[in-house]
Amino acid sequence: MPGPTQTQDVRSEDGSAGFPEFGDSIDQTTFEQILEMDDDEEEREFSKSIVYDFFTQAESTFQKMDANLEKKDLAQLSSLGHFLKGSSATLGLTKVKDSCEKLQHFGARKDETGTKEEPDDEKSLRNCKVTIEQAKTEFKEVEQALRRFYRDDSS
Amino acid sequence: MAHMLNRKIWVRRPGASATLVQIREDDLVDDVREMILKKYANSLGRTFDAPDMTLRIVQRAEQGQPRHERQLGPEEEMCRTIDSYYPGGQTVEDALVIDVPQRRTPRPSPRAYQQAGYQALDDYRPLENGTDYFPPMPAVVPGSIAQTSNSNDGRAGVQQHHPSTAAPLEPHQRSISVLNTGQLPPLPSPGGGRRGHRDHRPKYQRQHTSSPTIVTHASAPPGHNPGVVAIGVPGSANSSSMHPLVHRQTTRPRNDSLASDGHHPTNGLSAAVPAAQPPTPPAPDTLTAHQAVSNPPTPSSGSTPVNAQHRARPRKNRKTTPEKSASGSRHRREDNQTANGVPPMPTASSMLDGSVPPINVLIVEDNIINLRILEGLMKRLKVRWQTAMNGQIAVDKWRGGGYHLVLMDIQMPVMNGLQATKEIRRLERVNGIGVFSADSATPSPVEERKRNSEADTNGGSTSEPTVNGDAKGKDKVSDDKLAINDGLFKSPVIIVALTASSLQSDRHEALAAGCNDFLTKPVNFVWLERKVKEWGCMQALIDFDGWRRWKDYAAKAEAGKSEEQKMKEEEQERKEKVKMEKLAKLQEKQRAKQQKEEEEKRKKGMSLGSSDVGTAATGNGTVQGAEPPVVAIGHVGAASEG
Repeated sequence: MPGPTQTQDVRSEDGSAGFPEFGDSIDQTTFEQILEMDDDEEEREFSKSIVYDFFTQAESTFQKMDANLEKKDLAQLSSLGHFLKGSSATLGLTKVKDSCEKLQHFGARKDETGTKEEPDDEKSLRNCKVTIEQAKTEFKEVEQALRRFYRDDSS
Repeated sequence: MAHMLNRKIWVRRPGASATLVQIREDDLVDDVREMILKKYANSLGRTFDAPDMTLRIVQRAEQGQPRHERQLGPEEEMCRTIDSYYPGGQTVEDALVIDVPQRRTPRPSPRAYQQAGYQALDDYRPLENGTDYFPPMPAVVPGSIAQTSNSNDGRAGVQQHHPSTAAPLEPHQRSISVLNTGQLPPLPSPGGGRRGHRDHRPKYQRQHTSSPTIVTHASAPPGHNPGVVAIGVPGSANSSSMHPLVHRQTTRPRNDSLASDGHHPTNGLSAAVPAAQPPTPPAPDTLTAHQAVSNPPTPSSGSTPVNAQHRARPRKNRKTTPEKSASGSRHRREDNQTANGVPPMPTASSMLDGSVPPINVLIVEDNIINLRILEGLMKRLKVRWQTAMNGQIAVDKWRGGGYHLVLMDIQMPVMNGLQATKEIRRLERVNGIGVFSADSATPSPVEERKRNSEADTNGGSTSEPTVNGDAKGKDKVSDDKLAINDGLFKSPVIIVALTASSLQSDRHEALAAGCNDFLTKPVNFVWLERKVKEWGCMQALIDFDGWRRWKDYAAKAEAGKSEEQKMKEEEQERKEKVKMEKLAKLQEKQRAKQQKEEEEKRKKGMSLGSSDVGTAATGNGTVQGAEPPVVAIGHVGAASEG
C-alpha cells in the first residue's frame, strides 16, 4: 500500500501548519486526524494516551517477536508483524508499518513484498530477525519524536 | 517465467516511496508501464491506462548540480536505459518517477467507457422511458477490467500521453454516451483532448457511483502529482464532521470519485438508495445503481448521480425516476430526496440535524490501539457503540441484537472477520431477518420460511418439531435462533470490513463473505464517518422506530428540556408499545382461536371454507399513521410476531 503522504495538500486544506513535522517516518495526514480528535490541543489527552499505549504495545510486541524468533515460530512472527502493522498504520507510523509488513511476509515464508515463496526457513528467519531489528530502530526513532512532541523528556 | 530473464527495477510516484517492479530483460518502457500499473493496481490501475503514464529517469548528479531528468519514450528498452544511466545498478534513490496526467478524471477513464460500450453494446440499450439510469451491470465489469489491463485493444499503443491523439476516438465515446445518457456530451474541441475537459466531468462523475467499496483507499495513492493528489487528502485532514463536504467541493475536484465521496455529500438520505450491486469497480456506466434495487443489502452509492449532478452541473436536475421494480422503501427514500428539494444538504440536516443517526455500532478489532481510535471516533460521532476483540465475541454480541452497523476487522485471532461475517449472515438467513415481505404478512409464512431455510442450512436437523405451534416460545429452540421478536433485528446488519490489505482479491473475498462495504486501514476518518453516516441513515430509516426513540432522547438532551416531561413521554410511548404488543398478541390468540373454531367447523362438515388467516395481521395497529410505509412494514412485522 502506498503511503498517502501529501503534505502540501493537507496544509492548504486547513492551515494546520501548527502540526509538527515528523519527517517521513510519520504520515502526517494519518497522524493529524488522530490529533484532531483531541478535545484540548494543549493537553492532547486522547492522542497522547493512544500513542503511549502504542509504545507499550510495541514494546511488548517486540518482546514477543524476540521470543518467537528464538522459537523459530515463523507463523507467530508473521501474525505479530500483522498485529503491529495494524496499529502503526493507524497512527501513521509509516516506517514501522512497512517493516511490520515485511515481517508479516517473511514470517509467511515469502519475500519481502509477499509475492514470492521463500522455501528456505532459515533464510526466512534471518529475514525476520533483520526486519525486527529494523522495526525496533524505526520505532525508537519515532518514539523519540513523539515523546518530544508530547513534551515528555523521560524516555 | 524464466527466472533468469527477470529483473526488478525501482519505481516511485513523485514524493512517495519507491517500490520494485518486476520486468523482463527485454521489456520496453511500454511494457514496464503495464507492470507498474499492476503494481499500483489500485491507485493508478483503476484510473489510468499504461499509455497515460510517463516515466522519468533522473540522472545521478553531483552535489549541488542540477539533476538532469528525461522522459522515457515508450519504445526504449528499459534495462538498457537503466544500465546506461546507472552503471553500478539502480538503487532506490534512482527509482524511476511515475507521472500520470494531472487532473485526470479519476476512475473510469473515458476510454474504458468506450471499451465497455463496445463489448457490450447490446446491454446498453437506452431505456425506453429515457431515464438516465443504465441497465444493470453486465457491461461494467469487463469495462473495469479492461481498464486496468489495457491489453485488450490496440489503443494502448496508439494512445500516448497526449490527449490530442485521442481525438479520433471521440466519436465513439460520444455516441456511446448518447446511448447511455440520452444526452450529447459537449463536443470536445478538436485538439483539446477530453482529459482536461471540465464539461465532461459530470459524466464521469456519475460513473463513479460504483464502488464505495473499492474506492476506499483511493487516498492511498502516494501520488504526488498535484492534480491527482488533491484526491486523497482533502477531507481527511480536517475531519471536522460537518465540513468535509465543503472541502471536497473545493479541493477535490474530481478525483474524489474513487472515494465514497461520490455519494456522501448528498446527505444521509441518499445513502439509503441502494446501489450498484457488484461492489466492484464499476466502470463507466455504473449508473446502474438505481437498478440494483433488488439487492438492498448492497447499497451505497446510488445517490451519486444526484449529487454528482449537483456538484457538477447545478443547472440540470436529474430526475430520480423511481424504478418500477423499486421496493417500497426505495420509493420512499427517493421521494424524500426529490421532495425535499434539491440541495441535498438541507435535507440531510433537517432530517438528521446534520449528524449521524443514532445507530448502534459494533466495532470488531483485535488491536487495542485501533479499537480505541475507532471508539474515539464513535464517541465523536455520538453514536452508540460496543466493541468485540475477535470474531467470536462479535457474533455473540451481535446475537444480542440491536446493531445497525458492524465495523469488522478482517484479520483477527480466534475467529477472523470473514468467518464472523459469514456466521452472522448465516444466522440472519436462518432467522429470516430482512425478509420484509414475509414479516409484514401473516406470521405463518415467516415461520414457514424459517423452517425451510433452517432445513436448508442445517440439514433439517433443528427445531422441526417445535416450529409447528404458534409463534410462541420458540426462541432458543436451537442455537441458531435469535430473539427476533424484540424488533432488534429489523434488517440485516451492515458490515463494513476493515482491511489492511489493498489487494483487490481480499476485497472481493470480504464482499463474498457478506460484507457490504469496506475501508482500507489505516482508516481515513472522513471516510469512516461518511460510511457510518450513509449506512447509518439507511439503517435508521429501516429501524425508524428505534431511531425516533433515540432521536427524542438526543433532542431532549440537546434542548435541555424538562427531563421529566420527556421521560414521561417516553414512558408513555413505551407503555403504548407494550399495549400494542399485547394487543397484537391478543389478536393473534384470537386468530388462533378462530382458526381452531374454523377447523372444528370444518371437521363438522360445515364447510366454512377458508382457513386462511392471512388478513388477521392487518389489525395490528401498532403503526402510527404518520409513519412512512417502510417503517410500517417493519412495525407490523415486529408487532405481529411479538
